Amino acid sequence: MSSHDVRDMLDLPGDAPRPAKKQKIAAPRPVLKGLAREVQNLSGDNPIAIVPEVTVFKKRRFATRKPAAKWELKPFKNSARNEDSLILRHWRRKTEAPPAPVAEDGNGEPSAPQPASEIEDSTFAKFNVKVQTPKYDDEQYNTKLQSEDWSREETDYLMDLVQEYDLRWPVIWDRYEYEPPTPQMDVDVAVGAIIPAQKVRTMEDMKARYYSIAATMMKLNKPPELMNAAEFSLLELMHQFNPNQEAARKKFAEAAFHRTKEEAREEESLLLELKRILARSEKLTQERRELYSRLEAPHSQGNIGVYTSSQGLQQLLQQLMTADKTKKRRSLMGADGMSPAGPSNLHQQGSFDRRDSTNRESMSGPSGNNNKKGPSQGISERRQLTADEEKMYGVKHLDRITSSGPAFRHEKISKPITSKSSIQQQKIGNVLTELRISQRLRMPTEEVGKQFEILLQNINGLLDQRKLADKLAGEINVAKAVKAEREKKGRAERGEPEPGDEDGEGGAGAGDGQIKMEDGGREKSAAPSIRAGSVHKRSASVMSGVSDKSTKRQKK
Amino acid sequence: MAAQTLNSSMQPTDVYGGDEVSAIVLDPGYSSVRAGFAGEDAPKSFVNSHYGATPDGRLIFGDNAIHNPQANLEIRNPMSKEGIVEDWDTATSLWEYAITSRLTSFKQADPRHNGLNDDNKDLEMEMEAVEEGEKALEEHPLLMTETAWNSVKNRERSIEIAMESWGCPAFWLARNCVMAAFGSGKATALVVDVGASTASVIGIHDGLILKKSVQRSNLGGNWLSSQLRSLFASQDPKVELIPHYMIASKTPVDAGAPAQAIYRKYEKEPSESFRALEEERVLTEFKESVVQVWSGPGRLNSMNATGSNNLDYARSQPGRVFEFPDGANQMWGVERLTVAEGMWDEKAALPVPNEQPGTKMTIPEMVKASISAVDMDLRAHLLQNIVVTGGTTLVNGFTDRLNNELMAMYPGARIKIQAAGLTAERRFGSWIGGSILGSLGTFHQMWISKAEYQEFGASVVEKRCK
Repeated sequence: MSSHDVRDMLDLPGDAPRPAKKQKIAAPRPVLKGLAREVQNLSGDNPIAIVPEVTVFKKRRFATRKPAAKWELKPFKNSARNEDSLILRHWRRKTEAPPAPVAEDGNGEPSAPQPASEIEDSTFAKFNVKVQTPKYDDEQYNTKLQSEDWSREETDYLMDLVQEYDLRWPVIWDRYEYEPPTPQMDVDVAVGAIIPAQKVRTMEDMKARYYSIAATMMKLNKPPELMNAAEFSLLELMHQFNPNQEAARKKFAEAAFHRTKEEAREEESLLLELKRILARSEKLTQERRELYSRLEAPHSQGNIGVYTSSQGLQQLLQQLMTADKTKKRRSLMGADGMSPAGPSNLHQQGSFDRRDSTNRESMSGPSGNNNKKGPSQGISERRQLTADEEKMYGVKHLDRITSSGPAFRHEKISKPITSKSSIQQQKIGNVLTELRISQRLRMPTEEVGKQFEILLQNINGLLDQRKLADKLAGEINVAKAVKAEREKKGRAERGEPEPGDEDGEGGAGAGDGQIKMEDGGREKSAAPSIRAGSVHKRSASVMSGVSDKSTKRQKK
Repeated sequence: MAAQTLNSSMQPTDVYGGDEVSAIVLDPGYSSVRAGFAGEDAPKSFVNSHYGATPDGRLIFGDNAIHNPQANLEIRNPMSKEGIVEDWDTATSLWEYAITSRLTSFKQADPRHNGLNDDNKDLEMEMEAVEEGEKALEEHPLLMTETAWNSVKNRERSIEIAMESWGCPAFWLARNCVMAAFGSGKATALVVDVGASTASVIGIHDGLILKKSVQRSNLGGNWLSSQLRSLFASQDPKVELIPHYMIASKTPVDAGAPAQAIYRKYEKEPSESFRALEEERVLTEFKESVVQVWSGPGRLNSMNATGSNNLDYARSQPGRVFEFPDGANQMWGVERLTVAEGMWDEKAALPVPNEQPGTKMTIPEMVKASISAVDMDLRAHLLQNIVVTGGTTLVNGFTDRLNNELMAMYPGARIKIQAAGLTAERRFGSWIGGSILGSLGTFHQMWISKAEYQEFGASVVEKRCK
């Protein structure tokens, strides 16, 4: 007969009435009045350490008429223990209806074999957790886990330690004292000599060995295809363990650990600086991108025709200015007309640069150059530039805006070309390539721009002349042809034989033809010679000399 | 400990991890034995480790008895200078006294049979008596502490005593440094424990000591006492150390003046060892009230930031007056700093034969050696969890100095020192940790039960208590 049966007979609920315990603990909250209650309520569920004023001493206890709670020394066992023979005892509140009232206080032991099964288990047994370490048998070891560096005995020893210390590597490393088994035959000196001295294992060695075994066993027990994500990532992690890298990392950490104060401080300041620079560069690239997008915006819209004329540009300028005014920025006109899109941006960047550069210059100045240019260009309140610098940066002071309004400098260069027809453009391009000058200037400074302009003018002149020369040559040819025709007619009228008479007029005719041919040849060879000359002589002045020659030729 | 009072109407919000099984925690040390019930916040029983032995073989335990100036009373200590037990028989009796005098209801058996008065010749009879009679701890699991450098033999001996002599149902042997770390609420820590006989620095990871990191030296309270003796001897005029029991009456004298006291006459002078014990008490008082550690920065003999010597600065600080039992008193200025300086700077130690600290024995050096013997990844963590415990660390300025020394030694690392503010918590650090451990519900699976002991023998302690 078990206690269960007794309960059944007595019509008691199946299990020990545990909930009763909780109810008892939750005694009614003392009834507070007035301010004290308000204060108590302020704290909500978390009681605050205010001792409520109790006016009546000890009276309430009697008033409740509740009997004192009974406690008993209850034995319990802990199922987390390997054997369950140890029975400890702790005080527990006595349950209302003792299931088996056989327990005698006198001899301590709750007595009888019957309640022995009822000894409660410790509520803390569930906290017992152990790590799982891989287990292998002889065959698995011999086939899969052999290692040159590790003997079977040492591997077993390592696995035991790992299990014993629950994978706490610092402890495992600390307690690792493997002694290779002493050889049985002391007589055999040669064997004794071969036996390696006790190896000093680093933590990385141990980890590498353990992880390789664990990974191998894991794969053996469950093919990687069937693993779930967590298992697979664990496997990957164990496979990826690199003892050398780990050792290097530790070495590095150790070096960092032994830094002196100065080094530590320096590194700290450097890190700070780096952070600042990174933040700045990010800001800068963002700004630059913004600038680019603004510059490229018309292109992307496709229709730039509107802005190519000066009127269009003026309109654009107006637009930008109004947009600027709404943004309460400095007016564009104040800027030097370098770039219509730039100033507002530059201004912003400039003010921020100024702030930054002051505290930067004290630290160090990589990228400082970059900043100084910004503020010096943009705004009149910047420091005055010297004449040299102005020349260098291409600053121009204009009394008034030219009729065409502000324009990009590169337009000055490209305009003379782009305004021409496409054939003309090609021709100019040809000349430029002959001169080995690229169409797009690599360093379009003011100076270069001016020279380029002159060059382009000259090229235009040259092209005009050439065109004229071609035209005249054509006319001459026509005139000669007409003349030849006329002579032929005249001869026919005179009745002279035409090609038949080879010795007389025929010779002269042939001579004429030769002259004509010569003429044509001379005309034709003139152009290549010019070309050849121009190929060899690049400067503009020589070019003009060439064009002079061609004009002379033309006159002739 | 609890910041707020809980009344019965409130359920505790978090899980209460305690499960008290009336375990007894025994923490023996060189100067005192601490014993009490697990779960309490201070040991109920605090007994001087020194005991008195009368010529007729009686042993006298406890502070109430041993300070009685009897003729022929020999004062001895069962512990060795290293803090481990030397004289097991007496140690057993002493511990039994510590437990039974205050904790258990166990009444001492008839003096003829309780083994305290027997000498070795009737050992069998004693064993029999013990077998028959009640055993001290039959109802109480025993948690005992030991030093980190305890020998295997000693460990086995302690479980034998607990199981055989005292009949404990369960036993556990814990390292006192680990217990001190637990007492500070840390499972991973670097414990700097400066007690009476030894100073030790030990790294602990997850409640397990790191054996390679164990560092110890003799720069504890006893060493400080001998420094004081050396200081007194070097004073001009020499300071006489007269313990209380020799003084019948005294009259107040000016500072520095010779003492005017009437000395007690004894027909037969108490033994030398008794006098040493009593002198030690005066020195303890001196240590508590006068001695101070130069708290840094820098060493006492080094230059400070302004270029002047720290010693000069210390001289300019006000001194402290100490009155000896005979009424002689004087102002102690910079001397009160120099006596403790040897713990930090071996060159500054006062000359005491056989007790010169080696170069690697000062506290900063021990910390350094200990830290360098643990894994790199653990070092920063340990330096952030330095637990200072032991009675001698209560010397003024100790933790400040330790902090300064370590900051100078590891400028890149974060140093955090955990030192209990309450005197009792510092002195009984390892006992308190044991008290916490022994009352934890999760600990009960760890006990070595009697059945296990009977099955595996004493060697089980080596296997289980790592």
